[in-house]
Amino acid sequence: MNEIEQTGLAAMRDCWITGGAAFDLAPAAWKTIAGNANPDERERRLLAIAAQAIEIALRPAAPKALKQRPPLPELALPILPERLRPLLRAALKHAADARFKTRVATLVASRGFVLHPLDWMPAASYREVPDVYAAWVDWQAGVDGEKQSRREQLTAQTWDDFYPAARRTALTDMRRTAPALARQLIEAKGSSEPAEVRSTLIELMGVGLSADDAPFLKSLFADRSGRVRELAGRLLARLGEHGNLSDGTPEDLTAELAAFISEGKSGFFRRRTTYAPLKLKSPSQESRRVDLFATCYLGDLAARFSVTESDFVGAWQFGFDDKADLFFIRMVSVSGGEAAVAHLADTLVAEGGKAVLLALHLMARLDSGRKRALIRQILKDTYDLHALIQVEGVEAGWLEWGDLTNGQTLPTLRSPVARNDEPLRRSVDQILETLGFLVTAATAEKLIGDVVAAGMAPAAPSLGLLRLNASLVGP
Amino acid sequence: MEFDLKTIETLAPDQASLSSASKLTKQSNWPRLEKNEQLALIWGECQGSGSNPYRVVVDTGDHGYKCTCPSRKFPCKHTLALMWIAATTPASFTAAGSTPEWVNDWLGRRRKTTSQSAPSAPGAESKNIGEASRDDESAAVEDAAAIERRETAQRKRAQETRSSISVALDELDQWIADQLRLGLAGFVDNSGDRCRRIAARLVDMKATALAGRIDEIPSRLMGLRSEERPDAAIRELGKLVLLAKAWRQAPDDAELRRLVSTSESREQVLANPDAIQVESVWEVLGERIESRRDGLVSHSTWLLDQNSVIPRFAQLLDYFPASAGRRSNAFTSGDRFEAKLVFYPARQPLRALVVERKGDIASGKWPDFSLGASDPLAAHGARQDSAPWITDSPVILPPGAILLDDRGAAWWQAAGDPSGIALSIAGTINATLLGLNLAATAALWNGSQLDLLAAQSGFGRLDLS
Repeated sequence: MNEIEQTGLAAMRDCWITGGAAFDLAPAAWKTIAGNANPDERERRLLAIAAQAIEIALRPAAPKALKQRPPLPELALPILPERLRPLLRAALKHAADARFKTRVATLVASRGFVLHPLDWMPAASYREVPDVYAAWVDWQAGVDGEKQSRREQLTAQTWDDFYPAARRTALTDMRRTAPALARQLIEAKGSSEPAEVRSTLIELMGVGLSADDAPFLKSLFADRSGRVRELAGRLLARLGEHGNLSDGTPEDLTAELAAFISEGKSGFFRRRTTYAPLKLKSPSQESRRVDLFATCYLGDLAARFSVTESDFVGAWQFGFDDKADLFFIRMVSVSGGEAAVAHLADTLVAEGGKAVLLALHLMARLDSGRKRALIRQILKDTYDLHALIQVEGVEAGWLEWGDLTNGQTLPTLRSPVARNDEPLRRSVDQILETLGFLVTAATAEKLIGDVVAAGMAPAAPSLGLLRLNASLVGP
Repeated sequence: MEFDLKTIETLAPDQASLSSASKLTKQSNWPRLEKNEQLALIWGECQGSGSNPYRVVVDTGDHGYKCTCPSRKFPCKHTLALMWIAATTPASFTAAGSTPEWVNDWLGRRRKTTSQSAPSAPGAESKNIGEASRDDESAAVEDAAAIERRETAQRKRAQETRSSISVALDELDQWIADQLRLGLAGFVDNSGDRCRRIAARLVDMKATALAGRIDEIPSRLMGLRSEERPDAAIRELGKLVLLAKAWRQAPDDAELRRLVSTSESREQVLANPDAIQVESVWEVLGERIESRRDGLVSHSTWLLDQNSVIPRFAQLLDYFPASAGRRSNAFTSGDRFEAKLVFYPARQPLRALVVERKGDIASGKWPDFSLGASDPLAAHGARQDSAPWITDSPVILPPGAILLDDRGAAWWQAAGDPSGIALSIAGTINATLLGLNLAATAALWNGSQLDLLAAQSGFGRLDLS
């Protein structure tokens, strides 16, 4: 289309938009085609020519401000094979929320694959994703796309080259292998980060926490962020550094909490000291005790009674007040030393039944072996299988068939399926989904066979993760 | 497999269903017949009267069933036919180790019934499977006797239809001239009412297909940015002028008749010696299921020929009433199969039917079409040269990427051509696509926007539909 035609087309277009005859505005060549027909027909012919001119002769120009994102990085693991993607999509579709979807990604990562980016992408704000996805988390977060995560050693010099997720992953690894180096980096670079990032970095100090970290943590009591000071106080409490170090736990608060706890004796021959929550008279007192459990540290409380943390935990009398038990365990979880946490977890698991469920609140502090022992005990007791869906931070794909047959797990799952008991089946669906994450491939296959034999549809959506698990083998 | 003819007779809703089912029991109607005895399931794909196959699955244990056809008879003739084949020639079913995804979907949703057979419908005792088989033979005799009468009536009707359409197109011409006189700004704002009125007139005068197309203009305009709408209105109306003129020149032209009044039947296309047949490997690019303003739902499946050196597409297109409810997809995007297709005769053949479907093929990369970035819409332009009334064209775009403008709208742009052509993308896109380099992209171009179907990238095939 030449310039005259373009000008003519623009004029005709403007004329038609407002309404009227455009014949006089048409390029001469087009007028010839429109010919000597009646005015309406001339307009239609010109319309047909204009339509084709717009369609063929004009091409859309690129807007000036088009912005391109950096390429999505390739991850260290291969993409899940195409043949398994339908199973994966079925499992993701059934997963209710980001937490469950992340479990699917974690299971797949544990077998040596990553998901296709169009099937699942980790949200920039969600931190509980397998480390292998750090580059994608950073890609999601890097709205400006100006820099890339580098696969090099994190040092003070390369600190700014790392996006937050990649930095977090690198620091976590470093805390496991070279904790002092990681601490020095956090100390050197953390202070220049905003409070939110700073508190995230201090949280990482919980990995491989040792007495060597105490001086640095104590220095954080001068931090301007209350959240950072609180975190530092709890980490110090876990190291046994208690006694009114931070501004969060004045001694009189610990004394007030101690007043809500009764000290007694039990045993006929071997008298031993026990601690139990006092029976309180009003909801406001209960509420106050809950607040105090959330504020005080286990070490301070134990010192108040002149015993060690482990002795105090071992002497706690569970079952007098469920709410007090729960908040006591939470206090142990956030401020107890490693020994006290392990002691409490072992005690609860050994007790079995309802007590095991309380140990779920200690999950974040337990080592892999204790987490597995806890889950095995829940399955063995079959007191409340539904509690399994609360498990967090546990590895994927290790539970064996023997763990499921070592109790009433299978009959408990089969019964609602066989009776077609709809409400209970929904619970079974959720448990099966969690087991789909925990079990080995061979166990997944057996479990599917078992519940299908009990009457569950072979292609039931709740078996989605189990089916994926059973099909997943390493690359 | 636990079927006998008595059971099928009991399940059938009426004698007509049995008769129709008997005609579908030929193997040629079923490109896929599979079973899984462990799960007590049989399933198949029936090439019915539509372009897209119907997917049928039957639980041989409790006689539960599902068919993707829009029939309101339960079970439909396709389900009965599948049961019939299972009862009479069970060896026709191939044993399958795993169930396809669409069968899994159905199994996941269904509730198992405890009853082993459906209660007899009123009048069930009057159904007879033997009679259904005989219906075929007697019908053939009756058809032969009625052929001449029917053909005479058809010729008369065709003549009446042509006269009526001619008048309809005169009205359309006048309506277009009115829109230009009144102003396209007003047309764009009131296109819903204005198009509905003329579409209703066209339906009355038997220009049904054209009416349907005009009814869709408002939604096509509203899908664009406001500044794009006047140009789009010029394109839409200009194409109608061209189509009306072309029809007047050749009212018997199959393509034009299809676009203005009604489409030929499957049998007519199959019997047409001018209809091109292509046997190749086809990949399902994607499906489009859209509710139309005329109460129909259009169901398009877009296929790409994997053996062609230039991009060759096929569209399997069906219409069914929206009242028939949501229909399941006939294919899964990315499926590849070997098949012979017959194309509806056209200047740029696109719409097709599956004549014969053979085995499924493993997925892989698309052929290297070696497309240059100079004009990614060149193929669309070439189509317009011979059939300027076409609105939507499938295209394969050269290597490129998806970018965002400052308003957050997505654009496709060829790689290494930052100041060249950029094509606007319809709707919202998955943000992950912004980080993927697309080696080739299949899309529908409607003159203003791209509707993405699928792409090839470093992360493999991307389903964008």
